[in-house]
Formats: sequence, structure tokens, C-alpha cells
Amino acid sequence: MQTGYILLATIAVPLLTALALTVIPSRYPNAIRVLAVATGFVLFGLSLYAFFAYQLSSGDQFQFELRWTWIENIGFLGENGITLHLGIDGIGAPMVLLTGIVAFTGTIISWKIDYRNKDYFVLFFVLVAGVFGVFASLDLFFWFFFYELAVLPMYLLIGVWGSSSVFPTFARTKEYSAMKLMLYLVGASVFIFVGIFAVFVEAGIGTFDLPTLYEVEFDENFQKIVFPLFLIGCGVLAGLWPFHTWSPDGHVAAPTAVSMLHAGVLMKLGAFGIIRLGMQLLPEGADFWMPALITLGTVNVVYGAISAMAQTDLKYMIGYSSVSHMGYVLVGLATLNPIGVNGAVLQMFSHGVMTALLFAMVGALYDQAHTRDMSVFGGLAQKMPRFVAFFSIAGLASLGLPGLSGFVAEFNVFVGTFQTYPALGALGILGAAITAVYILRMLSQAFFGPANERWADLKEMSHLEQAAGALLIAFIVFMGVFPSPFVDRIADSVLRIPGVG
Amino acid sequence: MGMSEAWLLPLLPAGAFVVLTLFGPYLPRKGDWLAIAAIFTTFALTFPIIADLTSAIAEHGPEFGGVTNSIEWMSVPGYLTLNLGVHVDAITVVMLVVVSFVALMVQVYSLGYMKGDSRYGWYYAVISLFVASMLALVLADNFLVLYFAWELVGLCSYLLIGHYSHLRSAAEAAKKAFITTRLGDVGLLIAIILLWRETGTFSIQGVIEAAQAGQIRTEVLTASVFLIFMGAMGKSAQFPFHVWLPDAMEGPTPVSALIHAATMVVAGVYLVTRTLPLFELVAGAQELILAVGLLTTFLSASMGLVMTDIKRVIAYSTLNSLGLMFVALGLGSPAAAMLYLFAHAFFKALLFLGAGSVIHATERQDVSQLGGLWSKMPLTGATFAIGALAMAGLPFLAGFWAKDEILVVATENRAVFALLLLTLPVTAMYMARLFILTFLGEAKEPEAIEHAHDGPPTMSVPLVLLAVLSVVAGFVVFDQVGRAMGFPGGIGEIIFLHEPEVFRFDVAVAIGSTLLVASGLGVGWLIWKERPGLAIIAAIVLKPVHTLLVNKYYLDDLYQAVIDRVVLMASRMLAWFDRNVVNDTIVDGSAQATGFIGYLLKFQQTGRLPNYALAIVIGIVALTLVAFSLK
Repeated sequence: MQTGYILLATIAVPLLTALALTVIPSRYPNAIRVLAVATGFVLFGLSLYAFFAYQLSSGDQFQFELRWTWIENIGFLGENGITLHLGIDGIGAPMVLLTGIVAFTGTIISWKIDYRNKDYFVLFFVLVAGVFGVFASLDLFFWFFFYELAVLPMYLLIGVWGSSSVFPTFARTKEYSAMKLMLYLVGASVFIFVGIFAVFVEAGIGTFDLPTLYEVEFDENFQKIVFPLFLIGCGVLAGLWPFHTWSPDGHVAAPTAVSMLHAGVLMKLGAFGIIRLGMQLLPEGADFWMPALITLGTVNVVYGAISAMAQTDLKYMIGYSSVSHMGYVLVGLATLNPIGVNGAVLQMFSHGVMTALLFAMVGALYDQAHTRDMSVFGGLAQKMPRFVAFFSIAGLASLGLPGLSGFVAEFNVFVGTFQTYPALGALGILGAAITAVYILRMLSQAFFGPANERWADLKEMSHLEQAAGALLIAFIVFMGVFPSPFVDRIADSVLRIPGVG
Repeated sequence: MGMSEAWLLPLLPAGAFVVLTLFGPYLPRKGDWLAIAAIFTTFALTFPIIADLTSAIAEHGPEFGGVTNSIEWMSVPGYLTLNLGVHVDAITVVMLVVVSFVALMVQVYSLGYMKGDSRYGWYYAVISLFVASMLALVLADNFLVLYFAWELVGLCSYLLIGHYSHLRSAAEAAKKAFITTRLGDVGLLIAIILLWRETGTFSIQGVIEAAQAGQIRTEVLTASVFLIFMGAMGKSAQFPFHVWLPDAMEGPTPVSALIHAATMVVAGVYLVTRTLPLFELVAGAQELILAVGLLTTFLSASMGLVMTDIKRVIAYSTLNSLGLMFVALGLGSPAAAMLYLFAHAFFKALLFLGAGSVIHATERQDVSQLGGLWSKMPLTGATFAIGALAMAGLPFLAGFWAKDEILVVATENRAVFALLLLTLPVTAMYMARLFILTFLGEAKEPEAIEHAHDGPPTMSVPLVLLAVLSVVAGFVVFDQVGRAMGFPGGIGEIIFLHEPEVFRFDVAVAIGSTLLVASGLGVGWLIWKERPGLAIIAAIVLKPVHTLLVNKYYLDDLYQAVIDRVVLMASRMLAWFDRNVVNDTIVDGSAQATGFIGYLLKFQQTGRLPNYALAIVIGIVALTLVAFSLK
């Protein structure tokens, strides 16, 4: 059993940095950058520590627990009414690590931000604090609080630092995309909000403390009614079809590092919420609704992959591929067996790292070329060999190549799905083949073939971008070759989820 | 070093890959020596393994099942355990020898062929990974490791076929190879998971034993076997998945030698050989293998006749050979299939490396631009001739024994036997044609061959070694040779399905097949050497057939049309639906509806006090009425 303030630190450090940034005069942009990257590095170190110091087979469900009582025994609140209760299990540990990785690489990638970079980083770190908070919170009140804290800065980050796009057949302004994203996510959080209060009232013990509520046996009908609130509320954030359209548009409009956080981490909050709130609180509700989720998840996989195949904009392609890959997470969760759920959590980590890499690479290209239309490129491999190598590795991870993280995750999801729904499992495998088609088409079209004169001025990506990319690749390969450190943590906690077995 | 340490073999080239990828540019000579040292050590280490295996077979008899050694890779306790493990038996050992030897030859040859390439170090890195993956594939003791290696083999062939990535055609060919084989892999992966679901194990031997004990439901076993075969068809380029292989010659020529002789395409043959006990249990499965093998043999032999690119002709000859191996497997003789695979590895590598020498010397690869190279490149010409004759199946070269073994097995099935005989002269004809048009006659472009000469020793030594093996490799069918090499007998004594297959030499079959081969060679000589006009006349007289063959039976066009018109169209329609219906209509529509309702409701806000007073009064009255009526 590990204790300590490490989780509090992951939340406090970004918040304090945000505070500190506000007092640095904006005429020192480099000081701001250095502080931001240094904070990113600290967060990465903290999350690395939290992940590896997490003790296996300690017997406790949560580690690094910390409980500060805020309000109790007042009005309808009883013992431990609202407490800042932090702790991670084997599912939270890889998510904290993921957040650390993406936050660190995100700060590196954001070095290039010139326009009001102080304001940008303040919002960035508030968002990061919120994400860490969600993964670490064991109190429904704070869970929701951090959830909103993570979502709200998104609006400004996209609206101010984002980019509008005009395509031959349609146009998307950044304001439109930011607005849609915000309405969707805040709208979805209303469902979660109602669900939280329903659980609070039904339990009738006056506490928002999750481990305490896990002990409560809720009435079966209550579970069946309330579970969909969590499922839809969190599902929207996870890109659940048909509530996914905010996601590709949001990716496209967002600045690079925000896309990385958005697809890499934020969408995982949704899947994490389905586990933490839905499956762990309301196992019978989960059991009742999972056939619906596994069907929608499979739609996500196939629909996202087929849509991605038709995209000509690199970011839209990755956006739809995220919809497809998050489908594997949803399918894995919906299997309700340890293998599938294990695969889902692995996929959350794997997709987070690999999609962050993809967005980082697209950003590196877009900053030079000012277009993301893959049909106008060609032969970039000769000008930017490392860039193409990094992009290809991310693409190969995304099509599930063994040796990279995607395979381990998807293989577990497939095996889990075949136990209950072989036909949907086969569709999932087909989805991976479609992924191969669009990834390889894109690589061939944009990066290989004869060099295009129009791009004679393109240079290799910067050293900062290479460093960020190399770090992400290291984790993609690490998980692909040595999955045990992840699986050992995840499986232990997955087996404790009631109703999974 | 024994069978239980065989896991070291793939790790050596894999280590070379890692070192070359990370530090290649900083190493002297970009690290090619490291890659070659790794593969040489691997090759050398196969001998102690062979010795270990033969002593084990001597001890336990031919029924010796092999040695397995595995460690845990990841586990969800109580539900799923994935192991990494190796299994060594006779089939594995044959494959190990073939893979490591051909890879060694190819790597040495590449020292000369790839000299000056802008991505020399990367080439050696990928080729090391390629070999490592293939070794892992044949060593795999369970389906998971096999699939793992299977996909990496696919990746490496993608990278190597697309090595000249600045060429559009290379990029497209690489993509085509990866996607086509990946389509087959969908089947393989589904089969692996289905079999796991039935038996709870990924172990290949475990699954086979469970199947033989009747623990797998018939319908699941049937589905799995056909899906496994789908994977094998993709990798081994069997009809209808064959389209990628001829295009794969876009890669550097030594890579073609590796892909065609030792790695990629024989993986499918290996997989079916390995899982043949499963096929046997399913009605119709072996017949399917047989039919697919025959069809591929036929189609490829006919297309080989009209192609003009050297490498493309050899590529079709590979399809031809692979078809034969599948025919042998369909007839239930893994011994014949493995024997052919063994012999084929040497003469096919030889043919490609010989073609590479020609291309290296002339920078041309179309036979319509070549000719007259015999005097300029005697060594290449002679070794190429040996390879071509071995491929045609002339006595007593390696291809002869292997082909004969298949024919003898096929005698039990008259229709198959007759069809196989039919392909013999065709094969001989196009091999004769290829040799004649490349090396004999007048040079069609004299300036091309003016400075042509045999390659440096790094290129000619592999040619000679492979030529020698193309002559003698077939002798492993003999009891005495097997014994001399440490086998307890011919290759059939250690690789078999139920009981050891003794080599049966049927004089009638041998004479008959030899006559057919000779007639094919003779007709080829006549058409392309003595009476060059004949070929042109034949092309005119048989114009529709010629057009059909040159266009590869229009299969590539058909696939392209399906991809463009059906798959891409469907994806565009879905993307349109998502943007216009789901998003613009439903999502934005709901926002607009909300706005419109707000617009309508705003008229209630008149700003006049009497209106509000009236609303309040109505409200009070209504509530009062409701309250009373409820009472």
C-alpha cells in the first residue's frame, strides 16, 4: 500500500504553475515557456513515479490515498459528506501516467505558441489539473468538479488559439467547433450531474465518497434507470456514436497540443467515468445496458474507420480514427469480462499516446506547410525522413501492428468480445483491417512517391518536436513489447469491478 | 546450444535491427557487418540444433514431437495468459536452415548490389528484422507468437518493397502487398481467437491435440480451418490474393530473392504444413487447398509466358511453385511440400540474384531491351541457366526431385496428376524464354550491355553457392544422403502427417515428366531462339489470349474497380452522411430548433405590465382549480 501526497501534487503543481504564470509579465515569453516545460517535466516525473511505485498485490483497492474532509455532518451531508478523497487503482495508474506523458509532450509542442502564450499556458495547466483530478478523485463531488475544470478551458483554447478551416464542400470555423464541443460536453455533464445526485439520494447515507458508495447495494430498477445517465454523459466525452460529431470538428479546430490533450486524454475521461461511476457503482445497470453499448461501440469502430477512409484532411482522418479507436474501448468495456475490460483500459492508454503522436506530427507539418490536405503532398519522406518515420510508427500502432501498443490492447478487446459476441468481434477485427487501408493510403499518398516541387522548402521537424515524438514512441514500443507492467496493474483492479467475470 | 535455446536465433538479427535503427548512421559502414555477423551466427547456430534434433530423433524415433520452451508475456490471472515460446521439430529445422542460409546469401550479395544506396543502413536494419520475424514465425510454439511474427514479416516486406519510396510504383506496390495480405490476416486472427475460445489455449500443438480429441465443435473447427487458410492464401499469394506478389518486385532485387525464396511467401506454406492435422479433420478443406494450388499454378504459368520484365516472370514462376506446394499439401503430403520448399528456396534465390546481377550491370530489366549477355556475363549466365533448369524440373537438379515427389503423390488422383503434367511444359517454356531473351541472341540495345560484366565477389560467391545447392539440394530425398547429413533417412522420414514417407522413385513418372519438360524447353528454344518470328505470329494468331494474359486476366483491374467504385464510394457516402445528415441536420438542426423556440417564446415578453398581470391572474386561477380538483 502506497500513501503520500503524490496525487495531490499532480493536481496542485499545474494549478500553482497556472497561478505563477499569471504573475510573470507577458513580455518574457521565453520565461513562460521554460516554466511551462519544466512543469510538464515535473508532472511527467510525478506520474512516472505514481505508475511504477504503485504496488502490485498490495491487497488494497486504492493506493496513494489521501482524505481531507471539507464538509460533513451539515444538513443532508453526513459522515465524510464531501471530502477531497484521492487515490488510484490499477486503472487510474496508467491513466495518470498517460496524462503525465501527454501533458509533458504537449508543453514541448506548445513552445511554438507566440500569441498570448501566457494565457494559453494558464488555461492549459488548469485543464491538466482537471484531468489529473478526475483520474485521482474518489469523491463524486470532486470528480465532477475536476471534470468541469478539465472541460471548460477547452472552449477558450480552441476559440482563441484554434484555426478555422475552409474545405471545398463545407467550412468549419473555430468558434463553431468550440461552441459545439462545449455544448456537447456541458450538456453531457448534466446527465452525469443528475446521476450523481440520484446515487447520493438513493444511497441515503449523506456522503459523496465513492468507496463508501461502492459498498451500497442499489435497487436493480434504480440501477437500470440511472446507469444510462452515466453511460450517455460519459459516453459523449468518449466519442460514443451518434454523439461523436463534436470530436472530429474539435480536433481539427484545436491547436496542436490541445488536440493532443483532447484526443489523447480528455476522451479517456469519458471511458474512465463509465468504469468509475457506471460499472463500479451500478453493476446491475451495467449488465442490463451493455448489449446496447457493445453494439454502439462496434458502430463506432466500423463507422469511424469507414468515414476516416474518405477524409482528405489529415486531422479529420485522425479525428475519425479516434472515433473508431475509442469504439474499441467502448466494446471492451461492454464485454464485462476481465479480458475485454483489460483490453479497453490498455487501449485507453495506447490510443492516448499514439493519437498524441499523430496530432503532434500533423502539427509539425501544418506549421510549415499551412495545409493538411494529404492529396497535395507527396514524397515528403525525402525532405523529412524522421517526420515520416515518426508518423508511420504512429500509423502502424494505430492499425494494430504487433510490437506496438495498439496490438496488445486490441488483441485483448478482440478475445474478450469473442467470448460473448463473436460476430461483433469479427467486425472489430475487420475494422482494424480498414484502419490499415486508410493509414497506408495516407502514407503512400502524402509521404511517398516522387518529391513534389511545391514542398521543396520543407525542413525536418524541430528538435523539440523530435524529442516529444521520441518520448511518445518510447511508450508505444514499451507497451507493445512489455505489456506486463500495464496488464498486471490493470488486471488486478479489473477483477475487482463487481459484475466483471 | 540445443533445441531449447532456439529462442536465441531470432533475437540475434532482432538485436542487429535495434542497434542499426538507433545507431546505424554512427557505425562504420552503416553497420552492415553487424547485420551479416548476426545472420551468420544464426546460420551457424542452426547446426547444433540440427544435431540436437537428430540425436533426439535417434533416441525417441520418428514420432519425436519436438521441444517446447516458453515464458509468460502477459496475463489476466485466471482468464488469459499469453506466452512467448519456441517449438523445435523437423519442420522447424528445415525452415531454419532455409531462412538463415538464404538470408545470409542475400545479405552478402547486397553488399555489392546495394552499394551506394542512400538508405543503405536502413536497408540492412529492415532486412535483419525481416529475418528475425521469419525465424520467430517458424519457431513459434503458439498462435499468438506466430501471428506476431506473421505481421512483422508483412511489415518488413512493406518496408522493403517500398524501399525506393521516391517511386510512385514502389509506394503503391508496398501498399498493395500490405493491404492484400492484411485482408488474409483478418481471417487468421479470427481463427486464432475462435480456436482459443474452444480450447483455452493458443499453443499450436495444444489446439491440434484438442481437435484430434474431438474437443472442438465441428462448425467452429471448419470455420477456423478455412480462416487459417485465408491467412495462408494472403501471405503465400494464392489466387485470388496473388495480385500483390508480381508487383512486389518493385523492391530491390535481393529483397525479391528473400521474399520469394525464404521469408514472406513461404510463411503460408509453413502455416498450412504446421496445421495440416486440423485441415485433415475438416471435410473439404484439403480439397480446397488442392483446388487453390492448382488454379494458382495454372494462372501463373500462363501469365509467365507473356511477361517481359525479368523479375515479373520469375515472380510468376514463384506463384507457380507455391501452387505446387499447396497441391502437395492438399494431397496430404507435407514431406513433398517441404521438400519442394527446401529445393525451391535455393533455385529461386539464385534466379532473383542472377536477375539482380543483370539489372545491376545493364540497368534494364525488360527482356525486350536485353539479350546477348552470355558472353559478357558468363558466370551470371551459367548460374542463371542452372536456376532456370532447376525450376523447369530437369533431371537431376533440385527442382526435379521435389517436383517428382509431388507428381508421385499425385498419381493417386488422376485428374490432378494430368493437370500437373500439363503445367510442366509451360513452366519449362517460359523459363527457356526468359533465359534465351536475356542471355542469348542479339543484344536489342547494344549500348546497354556494352559495359556489362559479372558482379564483384560479394555478388558472385552467393550465386555460385546457390547454384551448387540448386544442383544437389534435391538429394536429401535419399536415405543415404539423409543419413550422411544426420537425418535418420530421407526428408520424408522426419516430416510426415501420419507415418514416415519413404521416397518413392517412379521411373515411369520420372521419364514422362522429363519428356514433357524437355519438350517445353525444346518448344521454347524453337520459338524464341531458332524462329523468333513464331512468337510474334503466335501473339497475333492468339491475340485475344495474349491480351488476356498480358492484362493478368483483368483481375488487378477488377480489384481496382471494386476498391474505387465500391469501397471508396461507400466510404465517401458514409462521410457525407456523417457530415450532412448526422452533424448538419440533426446536431445543428437541434440547435436551430432550440433557437427557433426561443424566438417564438420571446414574443411573450411584451414589456407591458397589463400582459404580465393577466398572465399572473390566469396562473393563479389555473393552479387553484388544479388544487381543488385534486382534493
